[in-house]
Amino acid sequence: MSNPILENIRRSLGRTEKASLGLRPVILKPRPPESVDSEIASFLDEIKKLSGVGQKISSAEIESALKNLVAQHNIRKAAVWNTPRLQQLQITNYLSSLGVELISPNADKHKIAECDLGITEADFILPETGTLVLYSSAEKPRAVSLTPRVHLAIVTPSALRADMHQVFAEAKDSRYLVFITGPSRTADIELTVTLGVHGPKNLYVWMMEN
Amino acid sequence: MLRPCRVNDIIMTNTPTYIGFEEYSEHVPASIPSAVQQATNRFVGGRAARVAELPQWEQLRQAGSDIRQHTIENMDVYLTRLEQKVLSAGGNVHWAETAADARRIVLQIAKENNVKTAVKSKSMATEEIGLNHALEAAGIEAIETDLGEYIIQIAGTGPSHIIVPAVHLKKEEVAALFSKHLGIDAPSDPIELARIARETLREKFLTAEMGISGGNFLIAETGTLVIVTNEGNGRMCTTMPDLHVAVVGIDKVIPDWESLTVFLKLLARSATGQKLSTYTQFITGPRRADGEFGPKEFHLVLLDNGRSKILKDPVGRDVLKCIRCGACANVCPVYKNVGGFAYGSFISGPIGAILTPQMLGTQTARELPYASTLCGACADVCPVKIPIPTILRHLRRRVAQGDEFSEPSMPAPIRFTADLAALALAWNWIYRFGARILPIINPFFRRDGWLTGMPYPLSRWTKVRPLPAFSARFRQWWNVRSTKEKGTTR
Repeated sequence: MSNPILENIRRSLGRTEKASLGLRPVILKPRPPESVDSEIASFLDEIKKLSGVGQKISSAEIESALKNLVAQHNIRKAAVWNTPRLQQLQITNYLSSLGVELISPNADKHKIAECDLGITEADFILPETGTLVLYSSAEKPRAVSLTPRVHLAIVTPSALRADMHQVFAEAKDSRYLVFITGPSRTADIELTVTLGVHGPKNLYVWMMEN
Repeated sequence: MLRPCRVNDIIMTNTPTYIGFEEYSEHVPASIPSAVQQATNRFVGGRAARVAELPQWEQLRQAGSDIRQHTIENMDVYLTRLEQKVLSAGGNVHWAETAADARRIVLQIAKENNVKTAVKSKSMATEEIGLNHALEAAGIEAIETDLGEYIIQIAGTGPSHIIVPAVHLKKEEVAALFSKHLGIDAPSDPIELARIARETLREKFLTAEMGISGGNFLIAETGTLVIVTNEGNGRMCTTMPDLHVAVVGIDKVIPDWESLTVFLKLLARSATGQKLSTYTQFITGPRRADGEFGPKEFHLVLLDNGRSKILKDPVGRDVLKCIRCGACANVCPVYKNVGGFAYGSFISGPIGAILTPQMLGTQTARELPYASTLCGACADVCPVKIPIPTILRHLRRRVAQGDEFSEPSMPAPIRFTADLAALALAWNWIYRFGARILPIINPFFRRDGWLTGMPYPLSRWTKVRPLPAFSARFRQWWNVRSTKEKGTTR
């Protein structure tokens, strides 16, 4: 099959179609992991630097923390990832009892866009940069972490990875992946940092204590 | 409303016949350098802080440079692999040899899908091919959704800075634009203006039939498109509409995910002084199943538009290593004083000064290699170690003398004068003869010890600063001095 662009490239480089691939240069090694406690501490510290709110939490504290969140941000509608852990934590039950209308995470995009709060997990977390890494699937729809004003991610220490090398090794065959590093931000008008321009304005990360 | 209209019209046509950097620079309003310097100073400071945190920064830069070099030298292999992987993930791949081809491909996809509105995330490649104009001419509304890009789209101007394209506009001007465009009474408050943009654009995201993006990297290993944004508009464009078209230059391909670790660590630190930008998306083909968000159809348009020809020049091709961070512009004393418009193209600063002449030819962009003091600050900060001053000098030679890629493009009188000067400097007797004879023109142009208002081509010099009056006295003085010295040492 002839492709004029590839042919031009080969002509310019003086290569033939059969030319062998040279060895890819060596990449720097990943950052070595530290103790779980210190990784969690630096992760929460980074979230704070990014204008997010990160805290450790136990399952017993979830209900009251949700109550505060709903009151503080005047949450009326919410969408929650349909995952076993979030079900087990009874997130949707608590929200219902607080009078929050639950929208299916698989609902039409117009419905999802009306949500004030989106609750997800994180499939991986990177402590060095305060990054949440999320897959996308029918159970984990990507819009839940994107369109609401407030995004809450409930995470566990098992999601910790020292560097993005490990995340990529595990996740590179997935069809969609997103790194979330802080709330949506812009400085496009007079360099004034403004949060929540298209994505969430408020990012909460709750680290479950085992 | 401050806008350099003429320059801007030229930028917007995307096919300039001549880029008059010198003339454009003279028409830059004073507000632009002051706003641009605020932005560049902030980014330079942020970058320095992030770099200081990473002891292995120089090794990262070296790795980044080596991987880009390796990819360029094996680009055909990686692009072939990339295409196979995108296809097997259920995506479509289109090859666009020229900007016109790329526009035609995108319009065709839009037509087949009955698209009326397209939402766009910021992309250099679509600026390069002038996609917005083509879409609008075809009756398709194309909306820029990055806040800065949205503002300059409404204003009808080009970008003044790669990262903060509307930085030259004051909040009052943005408020006036929003008020006029949206028929509202917008306050002069950046936070409130961002909220208005959020609401206005949210509606567009939900109703647009097509999302258009560029791409920061293309991973050959799995056929993955990587998009880096801060606002979340890039996620909106690739999540809400059923159709996603990405227009990406062939130079964006990288070998594998392991390589990507290097570039993600370099990019945001170099660009904005962040460790990572807020959102980094990794997209491999269209969505998998119903019930999931994301486009049903994914199209990757691979844009050549002169890149494969640049590859032929072993010196100039290093420009294709660029990862578009803008760090070179942020430190450039010329860029800081003229801003983005003067470069007359979609990409400005030192990288624009070496890319545009190679893409559009030195006939069109012959002034750009001279838009530099050759101070070398750009090369010091470049995360992939592009030797920008070397390429600038290489292109200056192409402009002045021509090479295997282009005829000389410097105007004949200047070339003639330069040849004469070279001759005079090479032959002692010509130089001495000139020094004797030239003072005869002094009385016609002399003001004190200086010559002003000389005729063309010397006027190019004297309109900026006077020339010292011709004088043969130096040689006389030197001869006398050296005779005296000989006398004393004896």
